[in-house]
Amino acid sequence: MTAQQPGANSVTKPSLETTVKMGEIAVSRDGGLLRTLLGSCLGVVLYDRRWRAAAMAHIVLPESRGQQEHLGKFADTAIPEMIRRLGSLLGDHPLKLTAKIAGGANMFAVNSAAATIGQQNVSAVEKLLDERRILIIGRHVGGTQGRRMALDVATGIVTIDVVGATSTEL
Amino acid sequence: MLTERQLDALTAVFREGAQDASLACSRWVGRTAQIVVQRVEQLDMGDAVAVLGASEEPISACIMAIEGRLTGGLMLAFDDASGWALTDLLLELPPGSCSAWGELERSAVLETTNIVGCAYLNSLSRLLQRLGEPPELMPSPPQFARDYASAILQSVFLNQVMSSDTIFLTETRFHLDGTPANWNLLFVPDADSIPTLRRMLA
Repeated sequence: MTAQQPGANSVTKPSLETTVKMGEIAVSRDGGLLRTLLGSCLGVVLYDRRWRAAAMAHIVLPESRGQQEHLGKFADTAIPEMIRRLGSLLGDHPLKLTAKIAGGANMFAVNSAAATIGQQNVSAVEKLLDERRILIIGRHVGGTQGRRMALDVATGIVTIDVVGATSTEL
Repeated sequence: MLTERQLDALTAVFREGAQDASLACSRWVGRTAQIVVQRVEQLDMGDAVAVLGASEEPISACIMAIEGRLTGGLMLAFDDASGWALTDLLLELPPGSCSAWGELERSAVLETTNIVGCAYLNSLSRLLQRLGEPPELMPSPPQFARDYASAILQSVFLNQVMSSDTIFLTETRFHLDGTPANWNLLFVPDADSIPTLRRMLA
């Protein structure tokens, strides 16, 4: 099970861990763990419980402004691409997706452009999911600390770790 | 993207900047400190967040924003043990005395960042002046953070990520009395400053 490059489309093997790096998307079915580390970036999980199929994206910025090279990097290209890859994974089965999101922290502002990007990512993803009638059933966003997000693909449970705090399940 | 030759030339430029920072750090800690610029790097954003090693490990970092002719961030990063060892040294306490991030410990590492960072920037400023560029470089007061390395670096890289998938950074190592210390000084210019750096090479 590996994180995929843009445009790649492979079925992942269960019982392994995949780290989803900045701007990447990974999909998995039946088992395994998808994980990512988040600061101001936003982690998005789309999950189909019937088929135990999941996609995770590590979104960096809210808008692609026409860029098509790194689809997982931007909210407006990552969400459609996650749905497309899950559709390819499940073939003819119609998708019935729910979402969980985490991240979007405002850790510190090295420059003014960075100060609000976390919240902008959250707002963009909320809007995109609402437009597609995908319900957000778990969220752990905002604040000033980073997060480790891990999805158990077999159960759909997302675990959030924050340095110095106990784990939270979504 | 910069060529290998340009990266080598910039590495030489930043090594000059590190000499003043080494001197300032030596005076501050009362030991022979050497700050060595390893290399000016261009890394894919997914790999750049691992530049400090294990990206899932909590680290501590002091971050200064830079304004002026060059803008960006300057970050002193260290693991807990190395940060507390520095505090012991500065407060003239027996090794192992500090073992938590209280106000005193944070203050010690923030002041160290201030001194080392300002010396580094002063040297770069003089270099800018020699090259006919406006020499102003203004650091913000440093901020302390303890978090996952990857999460901290995402925020530091954010400006560059807005316009590129490649991160340009200067990685620096410390030696104290000739022994490697587990501190890293990272200089991460904003995307708008990279053309200025190119001009410095011309």
